[in-house]
Parts: sequence; C-alpha cells; structure tokens
Amino acid sequence: MTTRRAFLKPVVAAIAAALLAGAPAFAEVSDVAVKAAFIPKFARYVTWPSSAPARTSAQMIICIIGDDPFGTMLNAAAAGQEVDGRPMAVKRLSSAAGASDCAIAFIDGARTGETLAALGRQPILTVTDSRSSPQRGVIHFTIVDRRVRFFIDNAQAQARGLTISSRLLALAVGVNQG
Amino acid sequence: MRPLRKSLPQWGTAPAAIFIFAIAILAGGLAIILQNESTFRAARDRQAMVAAQVLAQSVTAAVDFSDATAAQQAVNAFRVNPQVRYVGVFDRSGRVLAAYDPSATRSGANLAQLQPPPPSTYRVSVPIMSAGQRIGTVIYGVEREAVSRRLTRYVVLGSLAVLAALVIITLGMAQAALRRANEELTERAEALAQSNELLAEQIEERAKAEDQLRQSQKMQALGQLTGGIAHDFNNLLTVIQGSADILSRDELADDRRKRFARAIVQAAENAAVLTSQLLAFARRQPLKPELVDLSELVAGMTDLLDRTMGERIRIETILGGSCPVTVDFNQLQSAILNVASNARDAMPEGGTLRIKVSVVRSQAGEPMSAVAISDSGTGMDSETTSRIFEPFFTTKKTGKGTGLGLSQVYGFATQSGGDVLVESEPSKGTTVTILLPCSQAEMMIDRKADEAPLPAQPRAVILVVEDNEEVGHFAETLLTELGHSVTLATSGEEALELARANDYDVVFSDVVMPGMGGLKLAEQLAQEKPGLPVILATGYSQEIAQSGSGGRPVILKPYRLATLSQALVDAIVSGTASS
Repeated sequence: MTTRRAFLKPVVAAIAAALLAGAPAFAEVSDVAVKAAFIPKFARYVTWPSSAPARTSAQMIICIIGDDPFGTMLNAAAAGQEVDGRPMAVKRLSSAAGASDCAIAFIDGARTGETLAALGRQPILTVTDSRSSPQRGVIHFTIVDRRVRFFIDNAQAQARGLTISSRLLALAVGVNQG
Repeated sequence: MRPLRKSLPQWGTAPAAIFIFAIAILAGGLAIILQNESTFRAARDRQAMVAAQVLAQSVTAAVDFSDATAAQQAVNAFRVNPQVRYVGVFDRSGRVLAAYDPSATRSGANLAQLQPPPPSTYRVSVPIMSAGQRIGTVIYGVEREAVSRRLTRYVVLGSLAVLAALVIITLGMAQAALRRANEELTERAEALAQSNELLAEQIEERAKAEDQLRQSQKMQALGQLTGGIAHDFNNLLTVIQGSADILSRDELADDRRKRFARAIVQAAENAAVLTSQLLAFARRQPLKPELVDLSELVAGMTDLLDRTMGERIRIETILGGSCPVTVDFNQLQSAILNVASNARDAMPEGGTLRIKVSVVRSQAGEPMSAVAISDSGTGMDSETTSRIFEPFFTTKKTGKGTGLGLSQVYGFATQSGGDVLVESEPSKGTTVTILLPCSQAEMMIDRKADEAPLPAQPRAVILVVEDNEEVGHFAETLLTELGHSVTLATSGEEALELARANDYDVVFSDVVMPGMGGLKLAEQLAQEKPGLPVILATGYSQEIAQSGSGGRPVILKPYRLATLSQALVDAIVSGTASS
C-alpha cells in the first residue's frame, strides 16, 4: 500500500506538469524546432576548457553564424536554460569575426566552410546542418528515419579543447574519433 | 498407590511447558523469517532505487534529445533480470520514451495512463535530472520477491508449523497414553486392594468356620469318647456286678468264689487302663517311662485281647524274641489295644489277628523292638492309609470311633523315639507295625508285684478322709479287714478337728474334696501334728500333677489292696521312725 501511494505521487505530478506545459505533440513539431531545442541542451554534455569564455563569461552565449533558420525558436529554447547557474543568451553573427565569446556556434548557410575555418581552434562547440552544408562542425545535424539525429566529430572537439560526454556520444548517429 | 497419584500433577505440567516451547519455536522461526524478510526488502528497495537512478543517469541524454532508440537500448539492458516487472522512461511531458513491460499490461502512451502496479510488484519512481532541471521520469518495478524465495519461505513456515504440530501431537499422545496407563494402574491397584480385602474377609470367615468346626469336632470327639468309655465301663461293670452278685450267694464253693473275685479284679484293671487312656487323651498324664519287655507284654494281653476281639476273630501271637524298651507301659498297652480294635473293626465278618513281636534294624542300623499287628480284613486304599494318623480321622460311623486311636498310637510311638509303619491294600488286610528303640537298661521291675503276698500288717489307728461315701466305706472295710482301727471323716475340716482331738498313727486322705482338700489338710497337719504321716489317694489331681505332693506318698485310684497295705506299712514305719 505504501509503495502504491508513493508511486501515485510522481504520476499525479507528471499529469499536472503535462497539463501546465500544454504539451504539443512531438511529431507535429518541425525539424527546425527540434534542432532549436537540441542546441542549448548540448551545453550540458560538453565540458569547455577552464579558460574558455564559455566558462568565464557571465552568460553562456549561443551564436548563430550565417543564416538563421530558427527565428525566435532558439531564443525560446535557450530562455530559462542555465549551465552552472549561468543563463544562456543567443547572439547572431554574420561571420566568424566576433565569435570569440561564443560557447556554441550554429553555422549555417553557404559560407559554413569558411566560417569553420575562420573559427580555427577556438574552444567553441560548432554545430552544422547537413541540410545546408556538407562541412561538419563538432556536431552535425542530419535526418534519419525522419527524425533529427546528429554526428559528432570527437577529434575536432578534442582539437578545440572540448570534452564531450559519453552519454551524448552514445546518441550520435556516428562519431569521428579522428 | 499414593506415590503414583502424587506423581500425576507433576506430569501434568510437562505438556504445557512443551506446548509453550513448541509455540516459542514457531514464534522464533516466524521472527527470523520476518527479520530476513524486512532485511531482504530493504536491500531489494535499495537495489531497485539504485537501478532506477542508474537508468535515469544513463538515459538523461536520450531523454534530453528525445532519442527513443537510445532510451530503449538502455531499458532493454534490464531484460536479463527476470525479477524486473516494468521499466519505463518518460519525458518531461509524461510521454513514454521507452518501456520494458514483460506482461504488456501496464504500457501506455504516457505516465498518466500507467496502471498502478500489482501488490507483488515494488515500484520506484526516479526523476531524470539534467542541468538542475527535471527532464523526465524513470519508473522501475521489480517483483517483491523471487518465486523461489517466496516458496522457500512458505516451505520453511509450513515445515515449522508441521514440526510444532508434530511435537504437540506426539507429546499430547504420549501424555494421553501415560495418563491412560496411570488410570489403568490405579484401577488395577484398587481392584487388587478390593480383592485383597475380600480375601482377608474370607480368610477371617474361614478361620471362624474352622474354629467352629474344631469346636464341634472336639465336642463330637468328646461325645464319642464319652460314649465309648461309658460303653466299655458298662461292660466292665456288668462283669463286676454279676461277679459280686454271685459272690454274695452263701452256698458258693471256695474255688468258684475266688474265680469270680479274680474276674472282678480283672475288670477293675481294665477299667483302670481305660481311665488312664482317657487321661492320656486329655494330655494330662505325663509319660512314665519304664522298662518293658514286648513279648511279655503281648503275652500278658492275650486274655484281654481275646475278650476285646470277640468270638469271630482268632488271635495268633508270634513271639519271635524282643529287646526291652523304655516306654510308658500303659500307653504301650493302649496303643496295642487301639490297633487291635481297629483290626477288629476291619474284620466285621471275622478273621485272624496276628501279633508278631520281633527285633528289627532301623534305617540307621539301631536295633528296634517291633510289634506287627496284622488283620485279614477289608484293608484300605492309599488315600485312607495316608490319613489314618490324623487326629479325628475315622472311617467309622458316628458314635463308633473317636478318630483318636491311631493318632494316640502315632503320638506315643514317635514320642518314645520309635515309629509306626502301615501296610495296607484293599481287601487284603492291614499290617500296623509299632517300632520302639531297644533300651540299654536292664529289666528291673516285676509287673507282677501286685500278686506278691501282703506284708505283715502292724495294727494301727487310721483316720480315713474321703468325701465319697461309698469309697470311704470301702476303704474303711478294707482297712478294718487288714486289722486296723479306722475312723472315717467326710471332709478335710472334719478330719482336722478329729486329728486335733485324737491320736492317729496315720492319715489316709483323698486329695480332691470340696472345701479343704487333701494337700491343704496335709500341710495343716504337718504344722499341728508334725510326726503324723499322711498318705494321699487320688484318681487324678491337677494340683499334684503340677506341683507334686510335697514328698508325701500318693496312691493312684483305683488302688489294689496290696498297694494300699504296703503304703500304710511304709508310712507307719517312717512315722514311728521320725517321732
């Protein structure tokens, strides 16, 4: 009896949470929205070097370099998200210039390759999308079975001084160990 | 009996104690099982929680990125554990991301639709946290306990219960059996006590009956004896009276007078034998052993036997030599008469009585004088033979026999150091042999002393004291006939007065008299007239038999003239000598 009652609590809580959130059906959400939701979450599974702006600045900045497919969706996803007590912010850039304080950089558009090259070895989690560019950042979005998945280039991450959690690596469609 | 009952309550407390012991075993076993159970549950709960937490950790990323495949892979790892009943990974909105549900009854689209677990399942719910936020929930359900473990528990519990029950049943049965045995024992003991009481009563009754029987037998025996004696006495008295009648006739020739007088003497002697037998039967006459020659005795008894046996019975005596024996003469004579009279009764149609005297050797090699008395009568069977020496045993009709005759024979023979042998066969006659040990002493007494001539009588003045008038007058006549001067007193008191007033040479007094008896008178006279000799006469005196006569001469009745005469002479001579 006690176990059953104890079990009921989270069930009730879950129902309440679902009602409050308004719970949009996941399948109806667009791939873009999924990607927008994913990007801030990557921060939880990545460890930046201690000297990186991602660790030192007051905010954890997510940069969008090039085209912006998200609109307000990324801002919405980042809002309220915290990493080590630091809030997240979204910054839009046209090029790699001024990207030195970025923790995560979503690079999209025709100049993705250039931008990646320009970012050099800065400790920035680069994210690219196979939809618009064959060049890959550390994380490269793709669609498998009509679902948003990603590749991880662990070698590039290590080159940038980033450590990616094995839990995230486990979710990747493929991992390039270099 | 009593200790048995006492021990019962002690036994009674034992089963209660053992019952409590059995309950204690059961309770202890239960406590251990419950303790194990709670320890096991705590460990199982901890394990479930840890497993759920590990799952929550490992699916964090999968939930974060809504990767159902990855989540399912993590969940599938639990398939190897058969105790896992349900594993569910839900995202923030409660939508199921991955689930493992072997029974396929609890799966649903989201957390809200999840069925509550059955009682046999223990379920934990762990939040999936990411960056301090709850991003989902892991529901992990395991079987409360393994089937084998539950079975084991039930088996152990069942075994314990059965064990306890067995202990109680066994002890109960043992106790019941013991109690039953105890009750049975008590009953038996009671029955035994009852039958014992009954037996004691019966014994008492039997003893009473035996006493009564003995008393009646005694009375019967006395009656028989009295009858027999009276009969014999009447016969003797007939002889005496007849002879006396003839003697009183004037024209009687001298030789015939003597013959009748002798007949009277003979009859009186026989009567004396009878009375002595009577006294022997009463056991009031101690044996007076004297040397007797059996051949002589038997020869002397021929006349008596002739008369006793009657005309139909021929008597043969074979005197094949004998040795002198030391026995009571009268008793021996009685014994022979007893056997002879039994022989006579065994030959109602007449026959031959053979008396054989001889010397034989005893089993120890001692020479014995034997008197074998054989008849040609009916004989006896072995059962009767074995009983003939029993007192009061008789085959004769009531009033015919006392049953004491042969018992007197046996008593006399054994008391004299001898034995009695009986040989008998039905219709072939009986031989009774009296064995008596030969004496080393020489024959000294001549039984025919009575026939000796009377001693010369000095004339004397005699005081005769006799309460019986007839005997008194007879004594007076007898003494006067002997030439004495006689005064007759009929009591001790009268005699004492006469003795004080007159001078007498000798006092001849009866012992048993009403008032002052002969002994008392003798003592009194010894004080007042010390020189006066006293002769006592008695048929039987208990006093004298017990304490003697104080050295005074005692003449036994019936006395012969010669005996009286000799005693008087002795007394007068001694009286003259002392005075």
